[in-house]
Amino acid sequence: MSQTILVKKAYTRAEIAQAQEADGKTKGRTAGSWVHDLCALKKVVTLCDFCKPKFNPGRLGYIKEKEYPVVQATCDGCTTFDPKCTAYFFEETYHTVRSTASMRRAESTAYRKRLAHTR
Amino acid sequence: MQFGYLLSGSAPTIKKYKSAAGHAAGIIVIAPVAGATGVSTSTTILWANSLGLTLDANVSQGSPVSYSTTQGAVEYLQSVIINPDAVLRALMVGSAANAALELRTVGTAASNGLTAVGTAGETDPSSPDMDEGTVWYSSGANGGASRKITSTTTTLTVTVSMPFAANRVGDRFMTIPYSPGNTAGVTLSTDLLNVRAELAATGATAAVVDYELNGNTNSFLHLLPMDSIFAGQIT
Repeated sequence: MSQTILVKKAYTRAEIAQAQEADGKTKGRTAGSWVHDLCALKKVVTLCDFCKPKFNPGRLGYIKEKEYPVVQATCDGCTTFDPKCTAYFFEETYHTVRSTASMRRAESTAYRKRLAHTR
Repeated sequence: MQFGYLLSGSAPTIKKYKSAAGHAAGIIVIAPVAGATGVSTSTTILWANSLGLTLDANVSQGSPVSYSTTQGAVEYLQSVIINPDAVLRALMVGSAANAALELRTVGTAASNGLTAVGTAGETDPSSPDMDEGTVWYSSGANGGASRKITSTTTTLTVTVSMPFAANRVGDRFMTIPYSPGNTAGVTLSTDLLNVRAELAATGATAAVVDYELNGNTNSFLHLLPMDSIFAGQIT
């Protein structure tokens, strides 16, 4: 009779977190259908260089992340982890979760102008 | 909170995690607690074992959702920026419900510029204690100037070491318990999006990288949340 040896492993928190990563599109599902579902839920879409040309962000109310033209992520089209993906944000939530240098500059300039009038 | 930039200047890493609660966009999520089926929500005073900042919300037809109980349904997921050196930009507010910061008015002028004394009826800057924080003016001769607070007293007074120009009665100023280049505790608003700067610096551990001192409704802290599970240390 064969015996099974169980080797206990102490997982780190980072490994546990990695296991929490979502699986992405299910087997048999087309990439376009999956990405459109993500867009309907206003999720961030990350696409690799090969899948990027097939996505039209403007038509779906999305904008490209320009301050960070490259993000490390799993491509939502081909489910490959690619360190040179492009991120697309739903336009309405972009300002909730992102602060770009140009936004900070505009706010600071507006405040300085207001301040000048109080002196 | 907003993702501002990375200390390292490299590329952000975005992961899509399984999610089982209706997390909002722009909040810190933490490693799954026991029994959870996805990332867990931080609290207003605790983000130990943080994963990162959520970049989208869990919504269905515009309403927040937790998870589907339909057999075989697709799991909910949420995008999280997980870099441990991600600097977050948080609006400083004056209450749990995101009221504006208290705009103080100079009640007693200080010709030597070493103190800023408020007006009766305002919150005393010694309780909650603003000591070691920052004071800055939004009007008058010192408009736009800021100093680190070196002590506070119960007489509506904050003291600085490097003097301001002489102030006048009626000048407006603000105080916060934070100064950059230091670690601090932060208490978040109930919606977990903003930092309550009317309280003393206690709560979730963070490093204050920088700040933007504008008016009482548009001043921001640049925070680095400590205790990320990806920071290479086990706590």
